[in-house]
Amino acid sequence: MADEQDKLLPIANVGRIMKHILPPSAKISKEAKETMQECASEFISFVTGEASDKCHKENRKTVNGDDICWALSALGFDDYAEATVSHDHGHVNRRLHHSRHENVLELVS
Amino acid sequence: MRQAGTYSGILSGGISGRTGPHSLPLARIKKIMKKSNDDVKMISGEAPIVLSKACELFIEELTKKSWMMTMQGKRRTLHKEDVASAVIGTDIFDFLVNLVENKQAGFDGRPSSSGGALQSGEKAVDRGKRVTDWRWVLARLY
Repeated sequence: MADEQDKLLPIANVGRIMKHILPPSAKISKEAKETMQECASEFISFVTGEASDKCHKENRKTVNGDDICWALSALGFDDYAEATVSHDHGHVNRRLHHSRHENVLELVS
Repeated sequence: MRQAGTYSGILSGGISGRTGPHSLPLARIKKIMKKSNDDVKMISGEAPIVLSKACELFIEELTKKSWMMTMQGKRRTLHKEDVASAVIGTDIFDFLVNLVENKQAGFDGRPSSSGGALQSGEKAVDRGKRVTDWRWVLARLY
């Protein structure tokens, strides 16, 4: 059982991120959090696999941050790739974080 | 750990890579990276940090889309069926379709958390639980 949990992110952390993006009155079932845990692990594997393939083709042994960024873009997660590269030492991250809060308010109204 | 330049934004923007309100444990991320990819031998210091941020954004996006399904059903509790619907309805989440479909069919390998997974064809209502089966089916038609 401990071995299985090693493949997943802690449910508390996952639950916190979910809760933060939802309206205060929203509830999340335990199974939904568990499903999200599994999806997150799958996401990590998916992106890592793509990054690793790139390294392999370029005869490099170490997967670095640029490879992850590249993989994110290649797999359709351009927003995430942009958010992880700071052009402005944090301003990009703050702006994207703010815009996601706006999206949450739109959902509620 | 000194990380100048490209990824300094993540480090100086409140997500230190170790602490912070929504950070994910880097060691665990590294484990997941290695466990499911045999080819991955060496991982640089900043790779788990970048993935941690990406993962957080991923969870946020999937949660928001799942919540839209919840609201369509006029409910206030987000269920795993809503996550499944969101996955099926979003192109970039195609890589998750097998995962959520296997969970619906009862093939998830997790230790039983709620009396065992549903068997193929069995509906949640048979277990006395609230059912969103038909909504999940409808979502697949989009």
